[in-house]
Amino acid sequence: MEFLREGFRRALALLLSGDAEVFGIALLTLKIAVVATVIACGVGLPLGYLLATRRFWGRRAALTAVNTALAFPTVVVGLLLFGLLSRRGPLGGLGWLYTWQAIVVGDVLLALPIAAALSAAAVQGVDPRVRRTAETLGAGRWLTAWTVAREARFALAAVITAAFGQVVAEIGAAMMLGGNIRGSTRTLTTAVALYTAQGDFGLAVALGLVLIAIALVVNVTLQVLQGKGGG
Amino acid sequence: MVELRGVRHRYDGRLVLDLEQFAVPAGAMLAVVGHNGAGKSTLLRLLALLEAPTEGSVVWDGAPVPRRAPTALRRRVTLVEQRPVLLRGTVLENIGFGLRVRGIGRADAYKRTAEVAEQLGLLSLLERRRTELSDGEVQRVAVARALAVRPDVLLLDEPTSSADRAAAGAMYRALSHERAGRKARPLTICIASHQLEDAYRWADDIRALADGRLSPVTPENLFRVELAPAGTDTMSARVGAIDILVTTDRAGPAVLAVPPGDIFVSREPLSSSARNVLKGRVTRVAAHRGGGVAVTADVGVELIAIVTAEACRELALAPDAPVVFSFKASAVRVF
Repeated sequence: MEFLREGFRRALALLLSGDAEVFGIALLTLKIAVVATVIACGVGLPLGYLLATRRFWGRRAALTAVNTALAFPTVVVGLLLFGLLSRRGPLGGLGWLYTWQAIVVGDVLLALPIAAALSAAAVQGVDPRVRRTAETLGAGRWLTAWTVAREARFALAAVITAAFGQVVAEIGAAMMLGGNIRGSTRTLTTAVALYTAQGDFGLAVALGLVLIAIALVVNVTLQVLQGKGGG
Repeated sequence: MVELRGVRHRYDGRLVLDLEQFAVPAGAMLAVVGHNGAGKSTLLRLLALLEAPTEGSVVWDGAPVPRRAPTALRRRVTLVEQRPVLLRGTVLENIGFGLRVRGIGRADAYKRTAEVAEQLGLLSLLERRRTELSDGEVQRVAVARALAVRPDVLLLDEPTSSADRAAAGAMYRALSHERAGRKARPLTICIASHQLEDAYRWADDIRALADGRLSPVTPENLFRVELAPAGTDTMSARVGAIDILVTTDRAGPAVLAVPPGDIFVSREPLSSSARNVLKGRVTRVAAHRGGGVAVTADVGVELIAIVTAEACRELALAPDAPVVFSFKASAVRVF
């Protein structure tokens, strides 16, 4: 227990002193998580809406594929992308391997099924009369989708939270695609794993606390936003 | 104006609407009557261009409508569902929704919103949200919301099902006011109802739907039944608390129609060949659009008979008076 207590003491000292390395890693993690969440939700939410509201050939298969992708192991996604982005891979020319962009690509692939599958379920939960009402009052496709989304705002906020939670806490793809390079691709999760392995519990705990704080701030922010919307 | 041609509409393979032709002329005040499940709501959704028919086409001003109706065309018709939902926001925002969608300025939108809100007695509710309204108020807001956008065709599905008499009266007055105010573009209204009383009071054209098809007979006294053998050449159908005898070789599920003009009305049971003799009390006496007097009586089920004004006077038919309705088994239409 002593080493844990010591770890917390060190963590507090690092955080209060504004340790450059800790904040650098936190900022990079935040940047990757925000960019990946925005891309995954930007594509995944409209995709979920289409899966929930349009009847087309192969819709059931698409839903099954998206739901199956929810359970993709992160290291497998990392491995596949590693093959694609490595120098000999088809996307090797991009030169993204071991960059933060590669981690973003991996995170997007992991968060996209969450955004699509959960938003499809959220939209399916909205009373179908809402969509018909918007349409019969003259709303076009986008405004109809927006009206339905407003009705499902609580569920959709939870979808965004879940997607963000996935990317901010992910380690497999970040380790394989980013390489855990200090000052370049070291994220909170990869750093925690590394410093724990090196026996630097204080730094690991400090980074772990920052990770929890980020998750807490995002959740509270979304809850506040939800609370502003009445009936 | 809007017409269904050769429409067969299915849900999960089940045929719910089968109409060779159904036209709604411009400026008409049309009522579609029928039981729950007769296909009225589906019909209105097709007319509202919210769904495309499985087979057949919707024709608007002579031109077939594509499966995904253009927004500009959809904006000419508005549907108020039987159990409407209000969107997130206040009553004011709900009534103004269609106006905002059409890009109408804030001041003009507010003016129009206040106008329809006043017609429907909603001015005091403008700042309320959906959770603070009764079912009847929600229904009135939905009608106001639909009227606000000045559609060419207004479709109303059981618009007074949650309204009391006063609110229903206010709603019909608002509709009349709106129709009267239209000069260049007449307002066409199509109401689906299972209440014949409403239909007769407001519509100038009444059509009956039964099991997704247009009924070949007048819409009064329509019943969905299960036919069971009752004699050598008759079948019996349980309707409400009574059994109606009919001559048909059909059995199982069917729709019965008792033509109101074929019902003999008397104070005492008649000695006649009529196999159906039903005692009850008069519930309503009203002038019939097609001439004569419509006498509604509760004889175990509500039936309407048409008699002459003279017969009505002679028999002293008035609400609560005892009455006997008699009709032959062969007079009952089965389809």
